[in-house]
Formats: sequence, C-alpha cells, structure tokens
Amino acid sequence: MGTRAGGSSCPHVVALKESRGLDTFRIILSNFVYCRSPRARRLKAQSCICHDCATTADRLHCCLDCVYFGCYGNQHIQEHAKSHRHHLALDLSYGVLLCGTCGDYVYDEDVNKVIHEEKYRATQGTHANGTVAWQPSSNELNLLQHNPKRRKITHNSTIGLRGLINLGNTCFMNCIVQALMHTPFLRDFFLSDKHECLMMQSQNHCLVCEMSRLFQEFYSGCRSPHVPFKLLHLVWTHARHLAGYEQQDAHEFFIAALDVLHRHCKGDTDYSNHHNPHHCNCIIDQVFTGGLQSDVTCQACLGVSTTVDPFWDISLDLGTSIAQADSQDILTAGFLTAGASAITNGISYTSTSLTDCLKRFTRPEHLGSSAKIKCSHCHSYQESTKQLTMKKLPVVACFHLKRFEHSTKFRRKISTFVSFPVELDLTPFMAHRRNGLDTFSISPGEMCPTPASNENRYSLFAVVNHRGSIDSGHYTCFIRQHRDQWFRCEDDIITKATVADVVNSEGYLLFYHKQLVEYE
Amino acid sequence: MADSERRIKDAQMRATINQKLVETGERERLKEVLRTKLIECGWRDQLKAHCKDVVKQKGLEHITVDELVAEITPKGRALVPDSVKKELLQRIRHFLAQQSNI
Repeated sequence: MGTRAGGSSCPHVVALKESRGLDTFRIILSNFVYCRSPRARRLKAQSCICHDCATTADRLHCCLDCVYFGCYGNQHIQEHAKSHRHHLALDLSYGVLLCGTCGDYVYDEDVNKVIHEEKYRATQGTHANGTVAWQPSSNELNLLQHNPKRRKITHNSTIGLRGLINLGNTCFMNCIVQALMHTPFLRDFFLSDKHECLMMQSQNHCLVCEMSRLFQEFYSGCRSPHVPFKLLHLVWTHARHLAGYEQQDAHEFFIAALDVLHRHCKGDTDYSNHHNPHHCNCIIDQVFTGGLQSDVTCQACLGVSTTVDPFWDISLDLGTSIAQADSQDILTAGFLTAGASAITNGISYTSTSLTDCLKRFTRPEHLGSSAKIKCSHCHSYQESTKQLTMKKLPVVACFHLKRFEHSTKFRRKISTFVSFPVELDLTPFMAHRRNGLDTFSISPGEMCPTPASNENRYSLFAVVNHRGSIDSGHYTCFIRQHRDQWFRCEDDIITKATVADVVNSEGYLLFYHKQLVEYE
Repeated sequence: MADSERRIKDAQMRATINQKLVETGERERLKEVLRTKLIECGWRDQLKAHCKDVVKQKGLEHITVDELVAEITPKGRALVPDSVKKELLQRIRHFLAQQSNI
C-alpha cells in the first residue's frame, strides 16, 4: 500500500529531486505557505481556493506539476493526482508534500529542510516571532543522552529557593537578587538559555551572564546557601557608587542593576554610551519598561502638550489619604502642590494604601506661579497643570514607596503602614481612561466594563522590606513560589510565610507582574 | 428561499473574513498564539502521547497520516480548554472590530 507515515522518502519525490530539484517547491512555499512579503500574502488570500468546489478550508493542497489548487476534504486534490497523473501536491497549511499515488504524506529530509528554512525566513521581519522548532545541537544531544533522569516539579518542591550569604552589609543586594530570581519572565528567559552574550572581549564581566549562572544556581536543587561574591564583584566594578561594605539602598541597587543589565544585553561596557534607550528590545526592557505619559495643560489656552517617557519603576510619595477629597475640587481650588508639600511637613502620617498613593501620583498637579512653562499652543509663559498617567504598562511593575526622606532640614524614615493588594488593577491609572473624565469617580462596578478588562491586572510576587532607621537597618524580602506559596528570605535563611504576613509587612519595594501577557 | 440566501451570504462573509485574516498576516499571528497557548496548557503533550499510543498500537508500518488524523481528531478537539477557545474568539472579534471595510 505504498509509503506509510513512518517510511522515508517515496520514489516520486526522489524522481522530482533528480529531475527538477526543489526550486518550484520552495517558490510555492515562500508565496503561499510561509509568505515573505505583504504581496505574497495578498496573493495567497486571493488564490488559495479549491478550483473545484471554491472552499478555502478543508486542507487545501497545491499541485506541483500544474497550476491547480484543490481541497483534501472533498477528495479534489486526490482526484486531480489520479486523473492527471500529477503525483505530488503541497499542503498549504504546513508545506508538507502529499504523494497522491502512494496515498500519504512524504517525509523527505531535503523537503523538510526547505520547509524549515522558509518557515524561519518568513518569521524574520514580521511581528509573529514564530516558534521555530528547537533543533538540539550535537552538544545538547550528548547532554540529554548522558542525563536521562527527568525531574518533575511537584507543588511542594523547594527548587528555586536558595539563601544568599551576606558578604558584609549586602542584604540590599540579596533581597533584590531574590526578587529578580523569582520574576517569572526573567526565570523563563534565563532557564531557556536565551541570553547570547555580546560582550566579546570581556564575557566574564557580563552581568547578564552572571544572572544566567545565578538562575542555574537557584534552580539546581542545591540546598546550601549560595555565596554571591562574583555578583558583588561585578556590581562593584560596574556601579562604582555601590562599592564598599557600607549599607546601601536596595532601590538604588535595583535601578543600578537594571541599568547595567540593560547595557550588557547590548554588549555595551562603556558608561557614557547610552544610545537610544527608547527603542530597546533587551529582556530587561521587555520586562520592566513602561511608558509614563505627562500631560501639561496650559491654564490660559487649555492646550495640552503630551510627552511619553520610559520608566522602570514608580516612586510613590506617602502622603495622607485623599480618599475623601474630590480631586476635581482640589484642582479648581488650585492648591495641589501646596497641599501635597504641607502634608509632607505635617507631624504624622496616617496609614495609607498603594491605591491612594497611585491616585495621588496620577492626579493633576498645579505647577504654581513660580514654574511658568512656555505653552506650545499659545506661545506664552503660563501657569499650567501637569498630570502623569500610564501610557504603556510594563510586564513587571515595581513600586518604590518613598520611606526615606532626605530634605535639607531632616533625614528620616517613614514607617507608616501602607496596605497593598495581592491583586492590582492598573486600569484607573491608564492614559486612555482620563480623556476629560474624572478618573476616580468611576464606581467599582464600572471598573470592569468589558470582558477584556483583566488585561491590566497584576499579581504581587515579591516584596522588599526594610527594618531599622534611615542610618542603619536590615533588608529582607518575601517572594512568591508556585503561584500561591510565600517565603521570607533573610540572607541565608528562608522560612515559610503566609499571604497575611506579606500584606501586613512594612513594604518598601513592591513587585507585581502582569497576569495576562500579550504575545507580540 | 430566505434560508439559501442567508447561506450564500454567510459563505461570502466567511470568505471575506478569511481573506482579510490572510492578507494582514493576522491568521499567522493567531496560529502562533494558538500554538503557544496549546503548548502552555499541555494540550500538545497530551495529544502527542495519544498519537504515540495509536502508532504503537497499529504498528508504524501500518498507519497513514489520514488514519492517525481520523483517530486523534475527536480527542484533540475535546481537549482544547475553553479558556483558549474564548481567548482566540476574543482576538478574532477584536481584529474584526478594527476592520472598517467588512
């Protein structure tokens, strides 16, 4: 009964390769299966119809000997092969070859290679960054053969949890490393070995490579604490302001680490060389970069000038709660800046919430008479209001609660309790939500008007805490594992925690990840 | 009469939509999304295991692609999670809403 699924090439394909080669096959592939250009796509859209029954579905095939398209479901391609003695046809969904005479698809190495090449070429330059099937290298095959044992991760597995030895006031680094190690998107990136080092001369200076090694260490299953001396050394050489055994700010470290990682992703060791930070596709930018829209409204002509700036984190003031105050009233009264700073100077801070801090962050702010800005619409210097909103949400949102206050008069730590949710919806703080509406007067029921509204929802996965004073203290963190298990990391000690422990803690840095991530 | 008219209209609409999806490249993107989602939810592994079972049972030399497809299709359809179907439908709706000239 001819060639079966498991068999190798069929005589008709061999004959085709010998007489005409696979050029025709490749041309059809690149035009009708894996389109390389918009023109090819248009052609495909117009001509891929069964010549007998005009269907566009039912597994269309294309004859390799003449211009004929036929469907498989209604036997049209099979009949064509028989009546015209045109043996071979190409499946237009996947590009595989059907031999009508042998009665099955043909697995031919050369044919499959052409399919693979064309598929890969089609995904270059389009947004569909196609998943090209993984082809293990000889080295990888070797590794797989020598390590036949497969591990399964159960829900009570501790893999991924590892303590970090404190190397002398390095808890500021350890807590950030823990947070980064448990960022789902970074974990997936590094554990699938996607980092390709571009730092030719100095590969052992690359912080991204070190991150890659750290992920290997964390997920190796080893239970003894890891000594991050190499990481510390790299941090000292690449971010000199953090060198030495002094206490440092975890937030400052976080930003410095992202900056170095971002630069090393592009193979850039030079400090001054910041080329085009806005259009970067490195893993750090893919995960952490969001866009902050700033609308400056001229009070004279009401013209709005808008700019969008990238951000890696959002620093939030801990003012008193504005829950009762109607933001519209404050705006018209025009004492916004005055109000905010007066509260800062106030004696005590009442407990507040992350949502309140975000409301304050995104409400219109009057810039005052001392800060007149030239309006781009009426070309005069006028008083204006400024409002910040989120234009593009990052995959991982990091909120920095400004607990350390440095003013000319005093330095102190604000230990106010700030409540934060395990699940957060950032829709109310998005740029498109305002457009003349009062963003915050939306009732909770209206918060989710469309079924697609969960696209702006976030889940908490790491919290960095600081205890002590502004001059000396200690950093610890909570990290989430397996969706809903929490652990507290204090350098080399890891203990189980509950969600209540986490949300009742004095948060300093809050890490949320997007629940729904769009595939580009 | 009205029924057959509607059927013709439906077929025309389907053809137009299909053409748009192909032309814009959206079809390929959707396929890619679907592929990824099915891998993520374990569908692919489940179906692969099922395929292996069928091939083992019938013997490698005695099965054609057609037979294999016929054998696994019902299970393959049943195993697709509702959430994946919903998301894909959502995406297609969204795409169509953006097309002004359909």
